[in-house]
Amino acid sequence: MTSEKDLSGSASEIPERITPSFRPAQIEKTAPCQVGCANCGDIRGWIGMVAQRHKTGLAREEALEKAWRLLADVNPFPATLGRICPHPCESHCNRSELDEPLAINAMERFLGDFGIQNALPLPRARGIEAKEWVGVVGAGPSGLSFAYQMSRRGYRVTVYDAREKAGGMLRFGVPDFRLPQEVLDAEIQKILDLGVELKLNTRVGTDISLEEVRSRHSSLYLGIGAQMGRGLPVPGGEGSSVWTGSDYLARINSGEPVDIGSRVIVVGGGNSAVDAARCARRGGAEVTILYRRSRDEMPAISHEVEDALEEGIELVLLASPLSIQRDAQGNLTGVEVQRMSLGPPDSSGRRRPLPVEGSEFTLEATAVIAAIAQIPVLDGLESLDHEGDWLVPNADGSTGGDVQVGGDAVHAGIAGEAIIQGRLAAEALHARLRGIEPGKVEATGLPEIRPDKVRFASKVGSEAVHTPMRPAGDRIAAGMAEVSGTITENQFLAEVERCYSCGTCSGCEQCFMYCTSGCFTRLEEPRPGMYFTLNLDQCKECGKCIEVCPGGFLQATAPSV
Amino acid sequence: MSPLTQKSVADSFSDFVESEEKDFTLRDGSRIAVVGGGPAGSFFTYFLLKMAQAIDLDIEVDIFEPRSFKYCGPAGCNHCGGIVSESLVQTLAAEGIVLPRSVVQRGVESYVVHMDVGDVAIESPVHERRIAALYRGNGPREGCDVELESFDNYLQEMVKGLGANIVPQLITGVENHDDRPFLKYGDGKGERYDLVAMAAGVNSNLINMLGELPGDYEPPKTTRGYICEFRSTKEEIMRILGRAVHVFLLDIPRFEFAAIIPKGQFVTVVMVGEDLDQELVHTFLNDPVVRRTFPTGATPCVCSCSPLINLGARKRPYGDRVVMIGDSGITRLYKDGIGAAFRTGKAAATSAIFHGVSAKDFEKHYWPTCRNIVNDNRVGKVMFATNAIMKNSRITRKAMLRMAQKEQQKDQARPHMSTLLWNMFTGSAPYVEMFRGTLHPGFIYNLMLSLGAALVPGKKAVQPRKKVA
Repeated sequence: MTSEKDLSGSASEIPERITPSFRPAQIEKTAPCQVGCANCGDIRGWIGMVAQRHKTGLAREEALEKAWRLLADVNPFPATLGRICPHPCESHCNRSELDEPLAINAMERFLGDFGIQNALPLPRARGIEAKEWVGVVGAGPSGLSFAYQMSRRGYRVTVYDAREKAGGMLRFGVPDFRLPQEVLDAEIQKILDLGVELKLNTRVGTDISLEEVRSRHSSLYLGIGAQMGRGLPVPGGEGSSVWTGSDYLARINSGEPVDIGSRVIVVGGGNSAVDAARCARRGGAEVTILYRRSRDEMPAISHEVEDALEEGIELVLLASPLSIQRDAQGNLTGVEVQRMSLGPPDSSGRRRPLPVEGSEFTLEATAVIAAIAQIPVLDGLESLDHEGDWLVPNADGSTGGDVQVGGDAVHAGIAGEAIIQGRLAAEALHARLRGIEPGKVEATGLPEIRPDKVRFASKVGSEAVHTPMRPAGDRIAAGMAEVSGTITENQFLAEVERCYSCGTCSGCEQCFMYCTSGCFTRLEEPRPGMYFTLNLDQCKECGKCIEVCPGGFLQATAPSV
Repeated sequence: MSPLTQKSVADSFSDFVESEEKDFTLRDGSRIAVVGGGPAGSFFTYFLLKMAQAIDLDIEVDIFEPRSFKYCGPAGCNHCGGIVSESLVQTLAAEGIVLPRSVVQRGVESYVVHMDVGDVAIESPVHERRIAALYRGNGPREGCDVELESFDNYLQEMVKGLGANIVPQLITGVENHDDRPFLKYGDGKGERYDLVAMAAGVNSNLINMLGELPGDYEPPKTTRGYICEFRSTKEEIMRILGRAVHVFLLDIPRFEFAAIIPKGQFVTVVMVGEDLDQELVHTFLNDPVVRRTFPTGATPCVCSCSPLINLGARKRPYGDRVVMIGDSGITRLYKDGIGAAFRTGKAAATSAIFHGVSAKDFEKHYWPTCRNIVNDNRVGKVMFATNAIMKNSRITRKAMLRMAQKEQQKDQARPHMSTLLWNMFTGSAPYVEMFRGTLHPGFIYNLMLSLGAALVPGKKAVQPRKKVA
């Protein structure tokens, strides 16, 4: 093998450039948590603000304040949403591939409470003195979010609400044991502190005409929600002891007594149904939730359903009411129920429930709460309703002219979505009134960073922090007292460490340390997301920096020739 | 910590007088940080924990290594050609560190020296002195489908089994806080330790960023290497390269040294030189001598690097409660870096456990091991310089070839040139030992003879032995 003869003509041509090129570039990506939900602001940013405080030289307190401000910049209700949001952000977290997603919701709640305890004022935008006076109909999450975003930009804002207190469904639809009124009050007060005027007990359309409100304000935002519960369309469904979920919850949340007897059937599978059931249970009744599809299709937050079951509430699935049974005096005695089976998916993507013939049975009951759907109350607003459809706004909430709309009035969803719509509408209106380009709204256009680009080995595995819960056995006795708690500051500080800062620089220093060609230079004033400058003059193109980057911020560019 | 309350690192590390009055022994509960989880860090930890166990000392060892050696490609690699001498493998076995087959790809039986004047295969001169190939990380970027185990990861798992904690945290500096070394973490935090062993090698900038250190303490001098991986089939690699490491002594401008190492279905090309660039790499790989030694259809893997190679030692690789081991401290010139990591790691651990962790203790009990390496490297430098001169002349190249070829053919009792070349390439023996060999009258006589023969034109060259076809 050592002579030339044995080896004649063995090798193929060695290409001119045999070193594969791995020239790095610093390219920010969208973190998946933000893809999951845009309402917690720059989630990666506010986590990084605290997690990287040692690098940016921020004191703990200072870092927490800045984080709160980043969060409150887009969402004035962090303490509120930290309690009731189903947190779709968490289900997108790349860390789920390693162990558990970050407890973003619990962290949001901590920061929200931190903002309340420290009486942090909501951040104002600087330098604008606007003459316009904008009106908002409905002091729910959507309307207040809009009011906040306009007021902080220097606009005079007046919010009208039909009820005696502000908050909308947050106040009247969510029971106190999930969201104490003091928490909601404190966050609403921060918005009012900016100078927002609140006109309560004023239903636009009846107490004051739409035309009058329109003429008063240069622009109007409608966040009237969907306050009216749909009744039960079955024989016997009208009459005493049958409540809609929204009526029942509104009364409970207003402290009014409701006589529901000892055996309550709640119809529906959403959060209102579960909330109503849990309230009824706290009133001492035996409670059964009747839902026509299976557990998987229930729109309610999964852990709320768990909590309800822990509290002794019975769940009857694949069952639908056929009629309400009453005795000779008209007193409710029970519900005739029919078994269902699941057919092919319907337009909502969920499997359609189909009645099973001959499967009827009767459940005893003293009251029925139907929490099946809610629709907007349009009294006096009919002129805005086109041909029976409720307004269909553009993405920025505009409907043409001077009216914008958002929140449940458009499409029933979670409070977080209503807050987003209020903010987007405000940003769009502000841009229009000031004649400026609409700011970068939601989509940054950056690619999302998937778990395959995250170097999980750069952190040790660890369990996520969990929101502390009152033991199930104590909850009913505790009545309307809150069932969950807020994580401690130490837990919060530990949880932020779990974040990989997917798609941006967390200043881990590995690229800087392992590049022996001096391509990376430390910034004198680093900030979360940017710690180094990059100069490729001496780059050996080995790609090590790219591969050690924990969050996939560095990526290979096209080869240099 | 505000800068005002910190003493400069230099103040404390050089403070020998003060160190006499302090307690510099490790005690129960002492915390030791090892910066870098490569072989030096693992060997040091291995001996530290074993020795502590032997004297019933309860210590805590944290190894700081942010990278995982389980990754394929540069993220999990510690950049070297991956040749260890069989003597090291056996020394490790004698210490209880038995490397499994998946880690060490044994079976390298010879070196083939390629020159423009001809090739010569050098069989291992003494039977035990075989060599083995291994991957430091988990193989090249595209090699994840191949069953091989990372050497560095194997050692790390071993010390983890002994109770060491692996902390995936980058260290960005060492300061002195209240007479204890304080490690600064990449995330901006940090912690104090009773002893810090720096095993960060030379391919991280940490060693250059340690700030002010005592007077004669300086980062090692380095040169660049170039390593790239090619992929072919096992059969083709066996056919062309056999069970041999191929070394090239070629007269290409700026060219210093290169080797081609077969590793299963991969071929590692290693080049060393001050002035390496793409052009030189290309010229080398297209040289006719190299071309005939290259597997057909070998495709470049997307894996190459230009690592730094330790050339000069730190003069004093230690201070109070700080000790440098492996490439961060003293290592052998060009060769056998893992062997040096083993020896320095063991010596530093011995000093720390049985003597103390002051600069004085390390001076007395650690430095002698380092000094031996340093002295040997001086001899090595002379030998490499001589070799460089010899390889640059066609006549001396011919003489070397002739002498080695004759030795290999005759199974001579004293194969001087072969032993010399073998040891120079493998790093199996100290340079001093090799140098002594060159002073042997037999070596000089045979070299003169070969030189004379090389000067006579037209004389028939000795046919090289055909060993592996």
